[in-house]
Amino acid sequence: MNTTYLFLELRRSLRSPRFMIFTVGFPVIFYLLFSSMYANSDPDAKTVLMAGMAGFGGLTACVSTGTRIAVERSLGWQRQLRLTPLSPSGYMIAKAICGMVVALGPILLVDVIGLATGVSLNPAQWLQVVLGTWVALIPFAVLGVLIGQVATGDSVQAIGSATFMLLSIGGGLWFPPEQMPGWLRDIAHVLPSYWYGGIGRDVVMHDIDAGTTVLVLVAWTVGLGLVVMRRFRADTARV
Amino acid sequence: MNATPPGAAVGIDGLRKHFGDVRAVDGIDLVIAPGEVVALLGPNGAGKSTTVDMLLGLSKPDSGSVTVFGQAPRDAVRSGTIGAMLQDGALLPDATVGETIALVAALYAKPLPVAKALDRAGVADLVGRRCGKLSGGQRQRVRFALALVSDPDVLVLDEPTVAMDVETRRQFWRAMREYTSTGRTVLFATHYLEEAEEFADRVVLMRAGKVAADGSVAQIRATVSGRTITAVVPGAEVGALRVLPGVRDAEVRAGRITLACVDSDAALRALLTQFPLASDIEITAVGLEDAFLALTAQESA
Ligand SMILES: Nc1ncnc2c1ncn2[C@@H]1O[C@H](COP(=O)(O)OP(=O)(O)O)[C@@H](O)[C@H]1O
Ligand SMILES: [Mg+2]
Repeated sequence: MNTTYLFLELRRSLRSPRFMIFTVGFPVIFYLLFSSMYANSDPDAKTVLMAGMAGFGGLTACVSTGTRIAVERSLGWQRQLRLTPLSPSGYMIAKAICGMVVALGPILLVDVIGLATGVSLNPAQWLQVVLGTWVALIPFAVLGVLIGQVATGDSVQAIGSATFMLLSIGGGLWFPPEQMPGWLRDIAHVLPSYWYGGIGRDVVMHDIDAGTTVLVLVAWTVGLGLVVMRRFRADTARV
Repeated sequence: MNATPPGAAVGIDGLRKHFGDVRAVDGIDLVIAPGEVVALLGPNGAGKSTTVDMLLGLSKPDSGSVTVFGQAPRDAVRSGTIGAMLQDGALLPDATVGETIALVAALYAKPLPVAKALDRAGVADLVGRRCGKLSGGQRQRVRFALALVSDPDVLVLDEPTVAMDVETRRQFWRAMREYTSTGRTVLFATHYLEEAEEFADRVVLMRAGKVAADGSVAQIRATVSGRTITAVVPGAEVGALRVLPGVRDAEVRAGRITLACVDSDAALRALLTQFPLASDIEITAVGLEDAFLALTAQESA
């Protein structure tokens, strides 16, 4: 992985007002707002809220980075890159890795603010909330790339936003699955974000099924990865 | 089958590409020697960009082959042997000029130092500027820097000066001269006749997907420019007219002769000396521009 490329992607993310508002601003503001409204006297609720908003920020960052593929394609930047040694697959892998790295920002930020506002966890629990959540983002990095592949420059923002909002709400990042109506909870179980969010929730709920969580997330990663590869072959064959 | 001699910088052999009914490139053969500066000259729609795309491996020929120093186009791109500035190349609006050049440089094994590429393209002063805030001419020069940063042996430019004003254009060609003086091979597509004349060693004229003429600037000029003398000359024969000084070609039709001249003054003197009865004489200038248009116009006219 080319570090110059990675650093440029990071700087571009930090420069983007949209990115800063959605993936950094929203999770922090909503954490502070909701925790002062509902969770001041309830440390467990506060912890769940922190884990949920960190997960939301991470998921948004991860998916958004991949969706830039569509924008850069419509700009003609990919055509420009084809005049360099960077291969089209290398470009997409770079975007997925960038998504992972960028996602660390909102996760760490919300968790640090959580710590500063009284969330108290032991080191193993912090590791689970930060690192566990982060690693579980891999399928979402692949999903972002897929959206970038199939969307057009015009449609990608709507598709990307709808995707991360639906995944976040349906996966129980905004409010815990226990508070969902039954039918929604049934749907939620199919979503990768439900299992992703479960990693952070578990430090309070103690209800994680580690085996199933890993299995579901790996299955989503492999499944999305196969679709990306298929689509990629079709795209390059068209040249 | 490949007719490209070994050692050629660029070898194009029987190249064809169509889009639907349009035969954009319709059988092109071209060999470019190392160090040549070649202009691919032709009006819009002649097939220049389509040719350039195949030379860079951006699109696949229907038939025929392209090699760059013996390599397939994709391999030549990957190894940095060939570099290019496309007609519609994009820049990331939210990245600075310096970041963009540094990014592309980092993708190559042996790039030019970023500062040097910026300097050669005349954009050193724009290093911190966001690409989205550049003028058309500045963008072109940044893209030129992008093409230079891989330090390619063969540089391909598709209509490089289209968005530039006169001064920028002059700067651009000055930078190009510096680059070509190091013995590098350049192929540039243009529809500006003067650019081809001024900067190329060799001009390849394209029309409707085919090569209409190929030669040194002087050769192309001799084929396309000059003056035409017409007159009524009783008893003149084409053979005698053709050998007159200053005459390139002659034609006799219904008692009226037409002389295509390289030097119309000399031709007229000789004509009047040898054929004192010549009358109704007209001399018309065929500008290079007119001749170029004639040569590249569609045959259907
Ligand atoms: N992608 C394409 N799809 C359909 N027609 C095309 C495409 N690219 C080029 N053409 C057609 O091929 C011909 C040659 O185009 P081009 O190579 O761009 O010419 P030039 O660069 O000399 O102006 C034109 O008639 C153009 O309309
Ligand atoms: Mg063109």
